[in-house]
Amino acid sequence: MNKNVNIIIDGKTITAKEHDNLLNVARQNGFDIPGLCYHPRLSPTGACRLCVVKIEGTNGLVMACTVQVKDGMKITAFDEELENNRRHTLSYLLAEHNEEYDETYHDEFRPLIERYNLKEVAQRPIKSIWQNIPRVVDDTSPVLTYDSSKCIRCFRCIKACEEIQGKGVLSFADRGIQKYIVAGTGKWGSSECDGCGECIQLCPTGAIVEKPHRNIINIYKIDKKVVTSCPYCGVGCQIEVWTQNNQIVRVNGVEDVSPNYGRLCVKGRFGYQYANDRERLTQPLIRKNGKLEPATWDEALTLVANKFNEIRQKYGKKALAGYSSAKCSNEDNYIFQKFIRLAFGNNNVDYCTRLCHASTVAAMIRSLGDGAGSNSIEDFETTDCLIVIGNNIIETHPVTATFIKRGKQKGQKIIVIDPKWTPLVKYADLFLQPRLATDVALLNGMMHVIIKHHLINEKFIEERVEGGMQAYEQLKELVMKYTPDLVEQITGVPEKLFTEAAIMYATAPTAMIATGMGMSQQTVGTNNVFALLNMCLITGKIGRERCGINPPRGQNNVQGATDVGASPVMYPGYIPVTNEENRKKVAKIWNVPFEELDPNPGLTTLEIMDAAHEGIIKGMYIMGENPVITDPNQLHTIEALQNLEFLVVQDIFHTETTAYADVVLPATSLFEKDGTVVNSDRRVLRLRKVLEPTGEALPDWKIIVEIAARMNINIGNYLNEEEIWNEIRQVAPILSGITYERIEKQGIQWPCYDEYHPGTSTLYKDKFNTSSGKAKIYPVEYQEQSEKTSAEYPLVMNSGRILYQYHSATLSRKSDVLNAYASESYILIHPDDAVKYKIQDRKKVKVCSPRGELITTAIISDEVLPGEVFMPWHFHESPVNALTRNEKDPISKIAPFKYSVVKLEAI
Amino acid sequence: MQNKQTEEQVLEILKQFKPEKSEILKALHALQNAHPLHYITEEAITQTARYFKLTTGQVYGVVTYYSMFSVKPRSPFIIRLCKSPVCYMKGSLNLWNYLSQKLLLNENNISSDDLFTLEPSECLGHCEQAPAMMINEQVFTNLSPKKIDQIIDDFKRKYHEK
Repeated sequence: MNKNVNIIIDGKTITAKEHDNLLNVARQNGFDIPGLCYHPRLSPTGACRLCVVKIEGTNGLVMACTVQVKDGMKITAFDEELENNRRHTLSYLLAEHNEEYDETYHDEFRPLIERYNLKEVAQRPIKSIWQNIPRVVDDTSPVLTYDSSKCIRCFRCIKACEEIQGKGVLSFADRGIQKYIVAGTGKWGSSECDGCGECIQLCPTGAIVEKPHRNIINIYKIDKKVVTSCPYCGVGCQIEVWTQNNQIVRVNGVEDVSPNYGRLCVKGRFGYQYANDRERLTQPLIRKNGKLEPATWDEALTLVANKFNEIRQKYGKKALAGYSSAKCSNEDNYIFQKFIRLAFGNNNVDYCTRLCHASTVAAMIRSLGDGAGSNSIEDFETTDCLIVIGNNIIETHPVTATFIKRGKQKGQKIIVIDPKWTPLVKYADLFLQPRLATDVALLNGMMHVIIKHHLINEKFIEERVEGGMQAYEQLKELVMKYTPDLVEQITGVPEKLFTEAAIMYATAPTAMIATGMGMSQQTVGTNNVFALLNMCLITGKIGRERCGINPPRGQNNVQGATDVGASPVMYPGYIPVTNEENRKKVAKIWNVPFEELDPNPGLTTLEIMDAAHEGIIKGMYIMGENPVITDPNQLHTIEALQNLEFLVVQDIFHTETTAYADVVLPATSLFEKDGTVVNSDRRVLRLRKVLEPTGEALPDWKIIVEIAARMNINIGNYLNEEEIWNEIRQVAPILSGITYERIEKQGIQWPCYDEYHPGTSTLYKDKFNTSSGKAKIYPVEYQEQSEKTSAEYPLVMNSGRILYQYHSATLSRKSDVLNAYASESYILIHPDDAVKYKIQDRKKVKVCSPRGELITTAIISDEVLPGEVFMPWHFHESPVNALTRNEKDPISKIAPFKYSVVKLEAI
Repeated sequence: MQNKQTEEQVLEILKQFKPEKSEILKALHALQNAHPLHYITEEAITQTARYFKLTTGQVYGVVTYYSMFSVKPRSPFIIRLCKSPVCYMKGSLNLWNYLSQKLLLNENNISSDDLFTLEPSECLGHCEQAPAMMINEQVFTNLSPKKIDQIIDDFKRKYHEK
């Protein structure tokens, strides 16, 4: 922290931090010095020359934005000479500037024109010349329009793209007075621009303006500006949503607030169209004579309650199960799990985390004690070395990736390990491309290198690992079998590369790992993460700031849903259902007899579907999930759903799953909700209601409470979400200290045990959360896949996500903007395989696996290895999960979405 | 005559340079000189960006900053007539008009037979023999309308002989 110093501005003494930006300090203290090119999030430019001041002892006028505060500085911010100078400079800028204004954007220029009395043309010292400068208008982007006649060449957009987002897409073209902003070769639409809109948010003069809703937005007619959390991925970006007539017309990133500090991605800024979409569910539906028909809430809720009771009486309590939702709030998820445990009388509640990071969580809980990322998002920028493994982080967590790219600019070492090329490779020092599902071999090989080069951290192992060096010796014995030759043979990664990577990681002063679906979604998912954890532990790269392991979470509240107990094995706060003492405590809070709480773990997501398939589960309650698209082995899923006696789906849209529902209940979207979510770095963040509910839609928790009441089950009476949250705080100790009031502006990271606890930015600094307080090493062997390529199915298919679509695309595909970037399914195939199997670029192909088949478009690309293909899974018309299998990782029960044998046929 | 540059040709030229930022200008010159129409195509800019690990916009910015580079197709011969003070005083403006009429230039300053593009140039360093001009890599000095006739005719003849 810099020391405090005193400076004097226009006779007033001000205390500031040494080296702080002078313009920023002056403005924060009420000196409204004009300026257009400076922005607190950017490095100073000094291009507009409006912020001139006088500093005693310095000749001439200096630009305040380029000066760092020093003790004793005496500054003149306002006098006649300065104001004259500013007025003159401003009129120069004005001469080259087109003043037309359509009230669709915030303009920082216009107030200055009035302030400096330049509104009347006659009062301007310099004549207008902008009409004579060639005007460049670029309207090719789906999200923005650039007009050079409004551009003051301030560098803000260029720096927004380069310094904040790390993309560097924008540049100046031409020179002198004709200079203008360019993306690509002059066409934004075909450039590398991915539409995050950072440049729009920072443009001071409306030269870069937003395209969506420009025909209706009027910034003087905005009804509401509400700060809430982004509904897409698990970064938890804070967004300010603007509405006009109960319609979202603009989204901005909230400046100065973690985790995103104003930054957004294309989905966060432009993906909101679904909230006002005409296809939203507006009233309850009941299936009558095979068709879903509108019904009243009372009719629908009574039917649901009666059916659930009937099934429980007829088949017993094991015949019911529920899928909770990572898209819903903590409050919704908490009420849902409470409902299952009390109304169904079992623990059959799970959700898509089982298909996502279940294996990561399983390994981390066993080894470290907590199933969450150990670090803060900010550490992605400041750690010395980062391994990104099985995680296409630029596309799946674009704002987390901005921290990495900024770290790279400061010299961070980046190692990408992925069977498929990802955009982060462009920033990487090393790119290791192992064959699919060979990760354990690769990581054991890297540990072999670390041990051979004596790069283990003995002190850490002795002090913080259970069994100390003895446990290490067991691991050593196992990994020493993974000789470089063997590892190269299994993984295909050259010895030189993984040796360099291992040494880079082990020798870095601080190092972090970001792991993703590539590691977790395998039948050996838990082992993969154990191998990663072993590497962390023997090198001591955990339990400190900027050291640790982090699984960025895919959905906005996938972290929170488990935190508040949407789990068949854990009560809220990660307390096992088998823990009797906790069940007693919870029974008291819930005001129910202790005996009513089932002490046995429930079924997991895929086990529930299997049980439905076998006829054991008869009734199911699905809240905000679309298993027909998201569960593996689609045919199996559909058969299971068809086999149910009664299926209730609660959602905001019709989905591929509502097609099999007996009752469909319309819920409010995240923009219509109050509550909280938890992001990937365990930050509890607020959701705030932006829009009035669509039609008769109700908040998820209210629907659940109503059903319970009609089943004569007491799951509590709540006036609002805050009351539910305060109950969660009693049940889950890790969340106890977090109140709505405390997170009004900034989120707080759990664990946070009381209202004076500041929250925890880095886990395991003093001890691990295991019973012994020490971490555990779990040595794991590489295992071959049970699924094997054959003459009939010669290729292995990997699946994943792309930037512009999101999961089963129920939300993202409602967005014209996102669809304009990408809305078609494809399969990537290596050029060698394309020749071998006679596949042509951009032509339709049939893809078959032993489970099913689909049709998509082939793209020939060396992003994948020979013998492997890759498909994004968002598109229901080419459903990747028709090809995947529902085999399970024995520990975490996750399915191998990343490994299916297939064949390709040209059609 | 082939008026295109293939992807392979561009890559071959790029490979002559180390992928370091300091080499970009040289590479761009080589690309432009190798193109039959003396310009840098969008595809070449994209490939250059990839080769130097930059974004397309960054390379496009460099190309459009320098007046010696063109992003529009030109012609086989680029005439750069010096308009710096010495040549100007020795009558380069008259020569500009003379050439314009002789070559029947269109609005892009390309001759009616598509062989020549006329461009103004800063000092070519031959002030003692002003006025001066360059055609592609070759310098011509002590110019007069008569001498220009000869030079232009020579270029035309050689071009058609090829």
